[in-house]
Amino acid sequence: MTGEHPALTLRGLAKSFDGKIAVAGVDLDVPAGSFYGLLGPNGAGKTTTLSMAVGLLRPDAGSAWVLGSDVWADPVTAKQLLGVMPDGVRLFDRLSGGELLAYHGLLRGMDPTVVDQRAAELLDVLALADAGRTLVVDYSAGMKKKIGLACALLHGPRLLVLDEPFEAVDPVSAALIRDILQRYVAGGGTVVFSSHVMEVVQRLCSHVAILAEGTIKRVGTLEEVRGDRSLEDVFVEVVGGRTATGEELAWLSR
Amino acid sequence: MAVPMNAPARPVRRVTARHFVRLKLRVMGNNFRGQGWRVALFLVGSLIGLWFAVGAFFGLAAPGLAGDDRYALLIAAFAGGLTVLGWLLLPLVFFGVDETLDPARFALLPLSRRTLVTGLFAAALVSVPTVAMLLALSGLVVTAGIFGGWSAAVVAAIGVVFGLLLCVAAARAVTSAFASMLRSRRVRDLAAVLLAVAAALLGPLQIAGLAAIQDANWDRLTGLATVIGWTPFGAAWTAGIDMAQGRVWAAPLKLLITAVTIVALLIWWSRSLESAMVGAASSGPARARPELTSGVVAQLFPRAAGWLRRDRFGALVAREARYWWRDARRRANLITIAVVGLFVPVMVNLGGQGFTIDSEQGFTSAGSSSPVLVSLSMLFVGLLAAVTLANQFGFDGSAYAANVVAGVPGRLELHARMAAFSLYVLPMLAVVAVVIALVLGEPAWIGFMVGTLLATYGAGLAVNSFVSVLGAYSLPETSNPFAMNSGAGVVKGLLTLVAMLATAAIGVPMVVAAALLGDAWLWLGLPLGAAYGVGAALLGAYLAGDVLDRRLPELLAMVTPRR
Repeated sequence: MTGEHPALTLRGLAKSFDGKIAVAGVDLDVPAGSFYGLLGPNGAGKTTTLSMAVGLLRPDAGSAWVLGSDVWADPVTAKQLLGVMPDGVRLFDRLSGGELLAYHGLLRGMDPTVVDQRAAELLDVLALADAGRTLVVDYSAGMKKKIGLACALLHGPRLLVLDEPFEAVDPVSAALIRDILQRYVAGGGTVVFSSHVMEVVQRLCSHVAILAEGTIKRVGTLEEVRGDRSLEDVFVEVVGGRTATGEELAWLSR
Repeated sequence: MAVPMNAPARPVRRVTARHFVRLKLRVMGNNFRGQGWRVALFLVGSLIGLWFAVGAFFGLAAPGLAGDDRYALLIAAFAGGLTVLGWLLLPLVFFGVDETLDPARFALLPLSRRTLVTGLFAAALVSVPTVAMLLALSGLVVTAGIFGGWSAAVVAAIGVVFGLLLCVAAARAVTSAFASMLRSRRVRDLAAVLLAVAAALLGPLQIAGLAAIQDANWDRLTGLATVIGWTPFGAAWTAGIDMAQGRVWAAPLKLLITAVTIVALLIWWSRSLESAMVGAASSGPARARPELTSGVVAQLFPRAAGWLRRDRFGALVAREARYWWRDARRRANLITIAVVGLFVPVMVNLGGQGFTIDSEQGFTSAGSSSPVLVSLSMLFVGLLAAVTLANQFGFDGSAYAANVVAGVPGRLELHARMAAFSLYVLPMLAVVAVVIALVLGEPAWIGFMVGTLLATYGAGLAVNSFVSVLGAYSLPETSNPFAMNSGAGVVKGLLTLVAMLATAAIGVPMVVAAALLGDAWLWLGLPLGAAYGVGAALLGAYLAGDVLDRRLPELLAMVTPRR
């Protein structure tokens, strides 16, 4: 399977809200087995692009394929291969962590005993077992990210799409998530994630795409995009914008 | 230009209520931007409000226009009192309050509590219902003016404004207090009981009112109106009439009563506002009971749903069933169904019975209540229960994304939601039928009563499946179960109305059968009604499920709150 199709293919995805263009035609090929970082400044269209890629937001134009299955024409097949952790979307947070995992597992048509076993392991590894029956709404931001990741991983998807997985996560949990994702990729899975933290992307990714103003500005393997500079230099050059203050804000320093 | 950094913390201009009003108007305007249908719905709602207001205006001005000052006090006291009662209870039971300006958003601003409360209060006054009310109640000014000249008209106008302030303050204070009670796990059951008592008060009031009207004892009614006129319920409205009828000393006293009540309500409101601002994020103390001996799947399923298979359908039902109890907004709806479903039929059936206080036979039940009347009240209960699902996806908000990502088929989704809601509603409906039948002393009627309930409830499920898929709207992510977005108020009202009318139309054959079939209906009512309801619900889910399958992302976008 891995040889035939890229894990994720996007062709001409476009979306505008109220006449304002959010994504203006994105083409992307994510090779199977890659660890793919989607970089971009705030408001670049990362979340919109990923939402269209996984079937949460209907694109104005273009299409998306997951391992060869069209997300919009044949959603059932495509969605079975997918694990998604959206950003800025609530979980069913009036459930406890365990209940939420059970819900996601059964919703994916898994066998109850397998759900029990995997959920127990995930809660253990992610250090969420101590939370017991605390409702997810009462979790801290970092714990919510972790339970969201667990929900996306539970059914063993072939492709994992994560929107800002390292946002609001403390260093220990971030290391844990990195380790889990690296094992997942080593085991043949594919990860696509969005971020604007250069350091994390540089450390993890085999491939990088830089998105700004709704279009892909740079794409390729990490080495190709970076060249002999740091990823941050490339990013700032591509995205533009000022990185230092001038005469204004004088009142900040007395 | 270089001002020291620790200096400009002192505000140059004071924040006044004007800022809040302008902020609310701006937020309302921005909500409409680029959404033509919202503007259209808002206009339709405003026109309906205007129409009712004009009707009420002439009703209240009638004593003056007819020149009959015998009824002036009666109408002012009763209509005014009912208005206050309505503002007090209806937001709790049906409509919620417009929380365009969510108090929690002001938590970080350096505003005194007094500034905040007066500001939010002023903003609350800017709404379609208040404008319509002001127009309607101006009828009292006309009456007072005709009988008492300019001075009475001026006093009446002041009274009407005071009364309106009282209504808004009461609605805010009560919903805010209930919201903070429902938030805390400790007293939420107490809140439910209080709500039940409040609704129950409507029953005796109506019975007493009907009895009084049947007696046509105007002296007694006038006496009652005089008493109401000295309570906060009627004081503001009757001041102008007092002036016109020569009791000049009473007018300032009544205005004072109203003013004191308004201040008291605002103080009460500011108390609960504080808890709304601080405790907005958490739904109460975490219950960390580490009991993971059983598997997570067993945890998900509540005991009442333990018989479900551990598959997709089972998981959906179990999650929904948990949500109906754990989500304060949904729980408030369940409580409403239980309370209103029980008391409205009692009122309708006993009220229509000529059940009077000084009746010779005392409390007799073999009165004029008929199978048709009972069927009609059951129709109402059934459609009221089902209309709760009119925005069932809106309750989920953006969390619904999980089902979209998992690709849940539309029919499965709708079936599961119906089943979970029915876990709560069916027992309630059974209780309603049994209690009403026993109160009426007609146990033989239970069969067709349950049948009518099931038929309308099933029809309502079908209708509301469509409404919920096509007409979903987002609810604000606040902790106030009574809150809704501005603009959504009109949408909600219209959708609810449409859903209820459609359900009633589908349920009417049950009433017709009760009228035509006579005794045979006692036996046929239950099986036919049950079959009718189940068939309607399944057909609705079958058809609406197809629509849902085509609209998953659109539905998600509709229920996701805009930020």
